[in-house]
Amino acid sequence: MKRVSIDPITRLEGHGKIDIFLNDDGDVANAYLQIPELRGFEKFCQGRLAEDMPNLTARICGVCPEAHHMAATKALDNVFHVDPPPTAKKLRELFYNIFFATDHTTHFYALGGPDFVVGPQAPKAERNILGVIAKVGMDIAGKVLKMRRDGHHLIKMMGGRAVHPNWGLPGGVSRGITEEQRQEIEKLGRDAIEFAKFSVQLFHDLVLGNTEYVNLIKSDAFTHQTYNMGTVDENNHVNFYDGKIRVVGPDGKEKFKYDSQDYRQFVAERVEPWSYLKFPYLKQVGWKGFVDGIDSGVYKATPLSRLNAADGMATPLAQAEYERFYATLGGKPVNPTLATHWARLIELTYAAENWVRLATDPEITGSEYRRLPTETPTEGVGCVEAPRGTLTHHYATDERGILTRVNLIVGTTNNNAPICMSVKKAAQGLIKKGQVSDGLLNMVEMAFRAYDPCFGCATHSLPGQMPLEIRLRNAQGDLVGRLSQHLT
Amino acid sequence: MSADFRGAQIPPTAPTSVEPHRNTPSASGHAVRLKTLVIGLGNPLVRDDSVGLRVVKHLEQLLPAEANVDVTEDYWGGLRLMERMIGYDRAIVVDAICTGAPAGTITVLGPHDLATQKSASAHDVTLPTALAFGRQAGAHLPPDDAIQLVGIEAEDILTFSEECTPQVAAAIPRAARLVMSLLESHGANDP
Repeated sequence: MKRVSIDPITRLEGHGKIDIFLNDDGDVANAYLQIPELRGFEKFCQGRLAEDMPNLTARICGVCPEAHHMAATKALDNVFHVDPPPTAKKLRELFYNIFFATDHTTHFYALGGPDFVVGPQAPKAERNILGVIAKVGMDIAGKVLKMRRDGHHLIKMMGGRAVHPNWGLPGGVSRGITEEQRQEIEKLGRDAIEFAKFSVQLFHDLVLGNTEYVNLIKSDAFTHQTYNMGTVDENNHVNFYDGKIRVVGPDGKEKFKYDSQDYRQFVAERVEPWSYLKFPYLKQVGWKGFVDGIDSGVYKATPLSRLNAADGMATPLAQAEYERFYATLGGKPVNPTLATHWARLIELTYAAENWVRLATDPEITGSEYRRLPTETPTEGVGCVEAPRGTLTHHYATDERGILTRVNLIVGTTNNNAPICMSVKKAAQGLIKKGQVSDGLLNMVEMAFRAYDPCFGCATHSLPGQMPLEIRLRNAQGDLVGRLSQHLT
Repeated sequence: MSADFRGAQIPPTAPTSVEPHRNTPSASGHAVRLKTLVIGLGNPLVRDDSVGLRVVKHLEQLLPAEANVDVTEDYWGGLRLMERMIGYDRAIVVDAICTGAPAGTITVLGPHDLATQKSASAHDVTLPTALAFGRQAGAHLPPDDAIQLVGIEAEDILTFSEECTPQVAAAIPRAARLVMSLLESHGANDP
């Protein structure tokens, strides 16, 4: 069997590589992501106070500390058996939607979007945020910078710190907001809605107006028939902060809907000898390998999955775009992975609208933003939708609240198997009988970038942006070729 | 205008100080007062990845109270790092580095010297790209020749721990003194 390695993947937090194994005929047999593990976090946490977890886990990941902070805080509610007052829940959801809007903005403009806005055939050096500015105009730079600045400003204002939030407590949050702060949050939220509308229009003009791009999105090379997971509210609308976990099949029908406390009944984690990362799958469907279909327990948890797993969006502009999305792409579920970029903009719109909805809620400035826990701590699960997928924190403590067990399923891990499948499919189209076509690197990159993946995300050492490299190995594992490119 | 330590490597066993170069006097004969940021990058919970944060903490103890320098921490390069530099004339970034040199080796680099920076992640772009983006957006940012990266060669960036490995820990005071030298070379410590 030949082996092709793409090592390491650019634009990933942490270092990873892709191995592509070829069969004796020189065709792609399998493709896997290999990610160095950050060792010992669970052990690191054991023996510490459970209430430290929102601050500790926020440091796991440089990309989405707010998501870990929120999942940990919700887990503590359950560990300490305390239900936060309505103002606390609304403040948390407001904070979380501000984070989501900021995060999705960055992904669309700096990372995933350039593939489309600048064009998949454009030179690599132009497919970045500078290329977007060159194509769309200078104004976009100021808009993106303002959106990020506003989001970071409000996250700091509410969360207490610019670097990592220091806010979530079992039963609520450590501080509320004043009327003056509320007015600022509302004002910037309205700006965010305008930014979301602008971004959606940009996608319509530059991507949907181009038949070639639409065909690329719909192409079989980037399509998978898997289960879809996402959190929904009581109306089965997408919710990032709270709700039930809903799983729909490749046929679009609801398969499961469950409380996050029960996740172990529905999700199992497979271990493969060649990977540090586990491969979550739907326990009751079963692991059938890295394969599509209704009998395979592989599921995706992405912006696209969340839309597929829901019946709609809870806010008007997002709902209108949700309807356009399915009308354009042929009804539910939408399976092409590249549609995730559009789904992300629909979520950006929802996040901005929900931001304003919550900022104008009469209870948001209430003074009851924490309920003190009084019961003996035991065990609990906290779940939120991270930008990259459903994020689960599960803690158990002794009677003093000291951690005895910690389990985390992070957003990207949910998508570990589908990412491998997407890379394999992209590679299959471009490697025939040992011959590698031009564009393999770009196509493979586009395949995994749609997932907005984030692996091994705690390290920050230089150097970080590695060249994308493919190593070809023959059936005996010998190196027979090498492809690489530096990416900006 | 900058003292050029770029590319200078200080191995773990070398003397700890770098001869400071005074800032070029301005036309009026006084050192130019630059608004300066020193930023430590890293994860406080990951062994040697935390070294940048530890160096800037050490630096804070060395800096005179009246120094015209802001010292801060962050966990992220690229866009976020660029945004932290907005409003400053000069920036020094302290971070772990992995080049294969002996652990604890300190290297001074410019923003373009590393083709492969951590700052390019799933959610980011390289620092040069981020700086170009910020400048196009009209942000006041330090010019490239006023941005220095102080890299401390790491040994272990994959283990959760609140202590650095010994060689890297030993480099912390040396790196802090090096940053002091870089600052003094620009007169930033002058009252």
